[in-house]
Parts: sequence; structure tokens; C-alpha cells
Amino acid sequence: MNKKPILNVYHPKLTAGLWLVGMLVICVLGSQALTKDWLETSFLALLPTSEQQPEIAKATQQHNQLLNRKVIWLAGAATSQEAINHAQKLKQQLEQSQLFNKVVLEFPQQQYIKQYQQLFPYRYQLLDAQTQAILAANPEELIKQNLEILNSPIGQMQAASLESDPSLIFSRYFSAQNPIKLNLEQGIVVLSEQHRFWALLLTDLQDERLQLDKLETLSSLVNSATEQVKAAGGELLVSGMPLFTAHGAESAKQEISTVGIGSSLGIIVLLWATFRSVRPLLLSSLAIGSGLLAALVICVLFFGKIHILTLVFGASLIGVADDYAQHFLCDSFGEKDWNPRKGLKFILPGLTLGLASNLLSYAGLGFSPFPGLQEVALFSAMGLLVAWLTVVLLFPLLLTGFTFDHEPGILKLTTYWEQHWPLWVNKNRRWLGLMLAVFIAGGLWILTPQDDVRLLQSPPAELLRTADKIRQLFPMSPDNPFFLVSGKDQTEWHQNEQRLLERLDALKQQKALTAYEGLSGYWPDADQQQQNYRLLKRNLYDSGLLERYMTDLGFDRTAVKSEYKQFAAAERNTLTLPEWLATADETKKQLWLGCDSGRCQSTVALIGINNAGALTALQDLPGVVWVDQVESISSLFARYRIRASGLLAIAFCLASLGLGFKFGWRNSVTIMSVPVAALAVSLAMLGWFGQLFSLFNLFALLLVLGIGVDYGLFFFMAGDRRASTSLGVTLSALTTLLAFGLLATSSTEIVHAFGFTVTVGIVTALLCAPLIGLKDIQSSNTMERR
Amino acid sequence: MILIKALLLYCLAFSQGVAGEAVLTEIAARLAKTPIAQGDFYQQKHLKVLHKPLISTGTFTYHQSKGVIWKTLTPVASLLLVNESRLLTGQGEQAVPAAFGKVFKAMLGGDLAALTDGFAITGTDQKTVWQLALTPKDEMLQKIISTMVLSGDTELRWLEIREAGGNVTRITFENITHPAQLTDEQEADFERLSP
Repeated sequence: MNKKPILNVYHPKLTAGLWLVGMLVICVLGSQALTKDWLETSFLALLPTSEQQPEIAKATQQHNQLLNRKVIWLAGAATSQEAINHAQKLKQQLEQSQLFNKVVLEFPQQQYIKQYQQLFPYRYQLLDAQTQAILAANPEELIKQNLEILNSPIGQMQAASLESDPSLIFSRYFSAQNPIKLNLEQGIVVLSEQHRFWALLLTDLQDERLQLDKLETLSSLVNSATEQVKAAGGELLVSGMPLFTAHGAESAKQEISTVGIGSSLGIIVLLWATFRSVRPLLLSSLAIGSGLLAALVICVLFFGKIHILTLVFGASLIGVADDYAQHFLCDSFGEKDWNPRKGLKFILPGLTLGLASNLLSYAGLGFSPFPGLQEVALFSAMGLLVAWLTVVLLFPLLLTGFTFDHEPGILKLTTYWEQHWPLWVNKNRRWLGLMLAVFIAGGLWILTPQDDVRLLQSPPAELLRTADKIRQLFPMSPDNPFFLVSGKDQTEWHQNEQRLLERLDALKQQKALTAYEGLSGYWPDADQQQQNYRLLKRNLYDSGLLERYMTDLGFDRTAVKSEYKQFAAAERNTLTLPEWLATADETKKQLWLGCDSGRCQSTVALIGINNAGALTALQDLPGVVWVDQVESISSLFARYRIRASGLLAIAFCLASLGLGFKFGWRNSVTIMSVPVAALAVSLAMLGWFGQLFSLFNLFALLLVLGIGVDYGLFFFMAGDRRASTSLGVTLSALTTLLAFGLLATSSTEIVHAFGFTVTVGIVTALLCAPLIGLKDIQSSNTMERR
Repeated sequence: MILIKALLLYCLAFSQGVAGEAVLTEIAARLAKTPIAQGDFYQQKHLKVLHKPLISTGTFTYHQSKGVIWKTLTPVASLLLVNESRLLTGQGEQAVPAAFGKVFKAMLGGDLAALTDGFAITGTDQKTVWQLALTPKDEMLQKIISTMVLSGDTELRWLEIREAGGNVTRITFENITHPAQLTDEQEADFERLSP
């Protein structure tokens, strides 16, 4: 075996000093980094942005901004009055919570009056699409519709505005601004279904990216409000993106503590049972603790913020980071006159190769475009590296004089296991091999990949049901997909969007969607405004139709004259887009992305999509791009699943090559058979149990590869220290299993899949590793028979 | 002093309320209560800006659970369908104005009790005719409608809507009958209202 030069240098005090300095630096950096807001909870932060064109990324961000802050509340009761009472009480409660910067219960009447007044001077330039079409094709129809409205028992509002707007064109334009009609009672939107009324309350959270404590406040607010309304005899439905985020963060937090506490307890019990001494316990904790601390600090320094899901994976690192410490500690059972120097000398090559193979696996994660996985990769790599450094640099000093006078029970157990298990396997290799082959082939046959990004988040069914119900009652929240429309200037943009809206209108008639919102539907550009004016002039004013209509209705001569005069005076009026936007509400303002570097862009929001296929077909229109984050990220997942498979193969080849150079090809194949078996069984189990198989499992498999190589290597290099190696591997496998087994209990689908894959892989590796490195299995076999 | 005044006002309000409700029960007792009512209407709208009223005629159908069909025949034929939560006109689905959904149905169906929720009611009940004045409680509605006056005998015969802006609508109901069943055409119209 080659000895690295480092092995000849042994200065425990110096290396311990180095370690101390390093940790001090990390502590100082940490004390600065961790005082800021460093925890990320939004699930969107996990998704890649680098693959998107910048303008799509920008549009997506703006589209999500509003969505991410909106919380919708519906207070329900048997009568509308009760529903309103509940909502009014709720409003007070929400305002007191100070979580929201907007709590809207009463219809913002003043705002509408203001908007009416601001736009009114441009009434001859602003026509809605329907009025435009009627005026162009059959202006008499407009008059007929006016008579219908005026004579209707509900035409009070229009009749009241008749004096200033005799042709009712502005009243038509204004009501077209709000395509979905909502019933108001006492100024409050009341939605109804059979025998049930719902009062609507809309809120906007203060920040888009909520801190954990605020999310908790939101969750408890939702719960207490639900209870209160229920106690008062009503019902409360709440939905919105922040609720999903809150739930995700909450379950992540719970999982961190389950995994963290669970694996820590497991390690303590195991170490205590093995060593019956406090020193190994403290040393292990030190290795794990410094690893995790360094990982956290470096991640926060590098990424600015760290996602809560990274911490869930990070908590499972406890089990892996402990491997090095245990391997060192267990080695002390290997020799009678053991000392740290000899121990280090013996285990360092194995530890270093193990670290290298693990780092290699994590480097693979780092090359994915997913910020979440990059974080996990850096976090894990740093955690392991620092745990390794702690073991190598600090342990020699702290283990001085560390010996045992007892033979731990677990050592006897692992020794027995290590001796008899390979024999049993060897004896039964025929049917075992056959069974394994059938098992693996069958599992792989059933295995089907799933790449849906929605699996990132696994909200409880109840939350989804409520969201569905609210969408049914109140079909106003835009769906996730949208259109991005662009043009080289405002005119071209306007044309492109108009063409899209026309097609959308046709699809709306076919019920492919409930509604859509595009700026050009409300704001005609300068050309269109002139056209509108000319259309009115030609077909309504100059044709004498308006005069006849007004006279027939019973207007005075002077009123007719004054109307014609006002119309003539308004000829040169033009309403610019910024002016129009200034009058619009926030939802409409969000649609405009602005003009820069020779390009104008807007988004068209879609509500209640029924037939996504018909909508995607519209992206053939000039300047129109269909943006479906969910779909595009899901397909990204699929692509990266395939790419990650390649990565796994490369990592596998690199490890084989490295081992081949060091130990020869035959030995390399022997060692690599452990991870190969582990990978195959993991995949087969995923298939048999119908588990989620996505990109994330492949990253779990990378980890399995690293750990499998570790175990194989440790046993291969064990030589005559098989007993202590077996103890070390078993202990570390048990702690790792504990960590990832606990991860498998996660309610988040991908975390669960990750935990499941690693658990199966490690169990398999643990079962296969002792079969490696036996000097002469045949001879021991014959001995046994004798 | 102020206390006594307040107390007096309170009593006044209270006694009026009682009187209103008593009248309401009396009138309600006189009204023909059937699941279906239909008849003709004659509507005059006096708009401030017009020197002559807008006049329309047509038929109406009331069904206890299904709502109201308001069919205008002159000057322009049009159809309006309404129940508590939906309103369909020639222009398509509309928001149901607060005054309208419940009130229109309650009035045509003689369900006066349902009106007390949204309106302060005063009334007189004489031998042959009764009259009620309804003032909306809802502030938003007050901005549009100041008072509604209803009068009738065993049926609602006359309705006047006085708008805050000064416009007045007067509707007379005639030829009121109470068939046991809806015609196919009426059924089909109501069908459009069901979600």
C-alpha cells in the first residue's frame, strides 16, 4: 500500500491548533452571517431561473409577486347577512394582526368613482371590443340595446348617467373593465351557492418573502379565525400561496427536529453502548457539530440565504458526518497497544478515499441548475469536509491515551456477523443470486419516472380542497401559466396583444378558459383611439343616429347640441398608457412590464384554464410566448433526471478508474460490486413499492454510490482488522440509516423519496460489504464444513 | 336632558318599528300566497334629463323557488331573468344589484317579511288598499334608491321606485293570475337561470 507523505508528518498539537484557528474564523464569520435574515421558506426559491431567458424570468417574477402575497378569505353562512357579520369580525381580527398591508372587505367605491372621473374625458376614444364590433357592423343594434337597458327595471345606474353619457358608451366601457360580475351587498362581495352565502375578504401580506415567524403567525391566525367563525355558527375558507408556503415551512421544521433529534439520540445510544465512555460521545458531537456549523455558515455566506429544505437534508448529514469519527474510534478495538498515531496511519487512506468519493457525489449535485440542490451539495460537502478535518486534525490530540479494557457486546455481535454472514451467503449463493436477479429485474421493469414539479410541495388534501372550492366560488385569481406578449415598440406590442386577445375571446366562448386579462383589452393605443373616435363620428354622430335616438328618448334640443359640441371638442384627446395605468388597479398595473432596449412587453393573465392544449397553440402568434412554469420546470426535471443518470454513470466510472489505478482492475470490480448492488436494489425497491422516481432519487443514488464505495473500501482495506472495521461500518451504517430512515417519514414527497432510496441503498451496501476482502472464502468454507 | 331625549328617540323608533311590523303582518295576511304568480306590467320611467317618460310594457312570471321572468314586449322585446344569486339580461350575465335579487322576488311574491332585512318599513292598511314605504338600510343602496312605495289589495298592484338622483319609476301590475303550473316556455326560461 502506498503511503502518502502526509502520513509521515504527525504533529497532533499543531494540527489541533490549525483546526482551532479554522473554527474560530468560521465562528466569527457565522456571528455576522447568521444575524441577518438567512432562512428561505418560499418554494419558488428552489426552482432554477438560469435556464430561462431573462425577460421570461422577469415576467414570471412579476406575475408571481402578487400571487405570492394574496390570501383569500371566504366567510360562509346560511344567510348573506350572517356571512357579512362573520366577515366584518374577521376583518377586525386581520387588521389587528398587522400581517397584511391590505385588508379589503368593502368594495373600494371611492377608487372606482375616481377612475370613472379620470377616464371620462376620454370616453370617445375608449371603446370596449364588443361596442366597437356593434358600432362597426350595426349601430342600430347599440340603440336597441340602450333602450333595453334603460327600460329594464335594473337600469338605474345607467339611467342616472344618461345626462353625461347619453349613448351609454362609457358606461359600457367601464363595466367591461370588470369582466366577472360580482354581487355586492352593503358594499361587500357576496358569493352564493345553493343555500349558502360567502362574504369575500382579500388580503395582501406585507412581504412577498415571509420570514418563518410571520408564517407561523399566519397559520395560527388562520386556525384561530376558523375556530371563531365556526363557534359563531359559520364556516371559513382560506386559501393563497402563503398558506402553502407556511405549511411547507412548518412540516420542514418539524422534520428537521425529528431527523435531528432522532439521529442524535441514536448516535448517543450506539456510542454509549459501544464505548461506555463520554469521550467518544463528545468527540463525535464535536465532529458533527463543527461540520454542521461550518456547512451552515459557508452556505449562508455563499448563497446569502439558505432554504429550509436544505436544512432538512442537512439534518440527515449528522448520520454521515459521524462516519469518520466512528471509524477512527472503532479502530481502537483493532489492536491491543493502539494509539491515535497508529490508528490514524491505518485509517487515513480509507477515510480520505471515502471523503473523496463522497465529495465527488456531491459535486455532481452542485452541477445541477437547481438552487436548492446546489445548496444541499455545498452544505453536505462542507459538512463532510469539516467533519473529516476535525477527525484528522483534532482527534489525534484528543484521543491521546484512549484505550479500552472492555470488549463491547456490539463488537462481539458485529464480529459474529462479519464471520458468519459471508459464509451463509456463499453457501446459498445459487438461489440467493437467482432471487436477487429476479427481484432487481422485476423492480426495474415496474419503475416509472415522475417529473412533476408539484411534487416539490405536498400540501395536505384539505388545503387543496379548500383552494379548489374557493376557485369555484370566486374564479378571479389568475392561474400560474400566462402569455408574455412583446413587440419592438408600443404599436407592435399592442397589435400582437390584440391578436392574442381576439383568439382568447374565441376560446373563452368555447369554455377553454373562464376569463383573461390583457391591457390592450382596456387601453386602445393612440391609433386605435383615433379609429374609435372616427367610428363613433361616422356611425353614430355624423349619421344622425345619435340625434334621432336622443330626440326620440326625450332629450331637449340643447342637450343634443351640447353632446355634439362635446364630441367635436374631444377629437384631439389621447390617453397615454402611463395615464391609463395610473387609474388602474394593482392587478392590471402588474400586467405591464414596460419598454426597454427596443422592446415592449406585457403579460396576459389567464383565469380558470380548462384546456391548456388549446391555449398553448396560441404561441404561434407573432410576439406571443406561452409561459408555464410548472410545465417547463417539470420538463426540466425530466431532462435533468436523464442528465443526472449520466452523472451517476460518470461518477461510477471515475470511482472505478481511481480504485483500478490504486488497487488493480480486479480489485476495483470487487469493491465497486458493493455500490452496484446497492444502486440496483434501491432502484428495484422504488419500482416494487411504487415510490416516486424523479431527479431527486438520482441524487440519492449518488449518495448511495459514495457510501457504497466507502463500505466496500473499508472492508477491502481491513485486512486483519475486519472485526473493528465491521464494527465501524455497522455503527456508521446504523446512524446513517437512522438519519435517512427518518427522512423517509417526511410528508414532502421528494424528501421521502430521497430518504427511502438512501435507506434501501445503505442496507444493501451494509449487507454486501462484508463479502468483500475475505482472504480465502473457499478455505474458510472448507474449515466450516470440517 | 340629552339622556331623556335619547330615550325618547329610542322609544319612538321602537314603537314605529312595532307599528310597521304589525301592518306588515296584516297586509301579508291579505296577500294571495301561491307558488306561482303571473301577469302584465306597465312601466313608466321618469328621468330628469328627458322631458317625456320611458314607457315599456310586458309580462312577468314569479315562481317561489325559481325566481322571476321579466319579459319586456314594447318598445324593444327583451328578457330579464333573476333569482337571488343570478341575473341574466340581453347583455348576458350581470351582477345582481343589492336591491334587486331578493327584493324583486319578495315584492312580486308578496313575501313582505323578507323585505324587513334590508329596508326600514312604514305602512298604512285601509279597508281596500294598503300602502308600504320602504327605505333601504344599506348605505350603498341609499345612494341609488331613496324610497320604494308599494301598494295593492290582495295583490301587489303598484310599485314606485324613487331614486336618489330624482328619477322615478312607476310600475302597474295587471291581469294577475295564479296558475298551478308553469308553461313550457316559462320552464325553459327558468332553466337558463339554474347554474
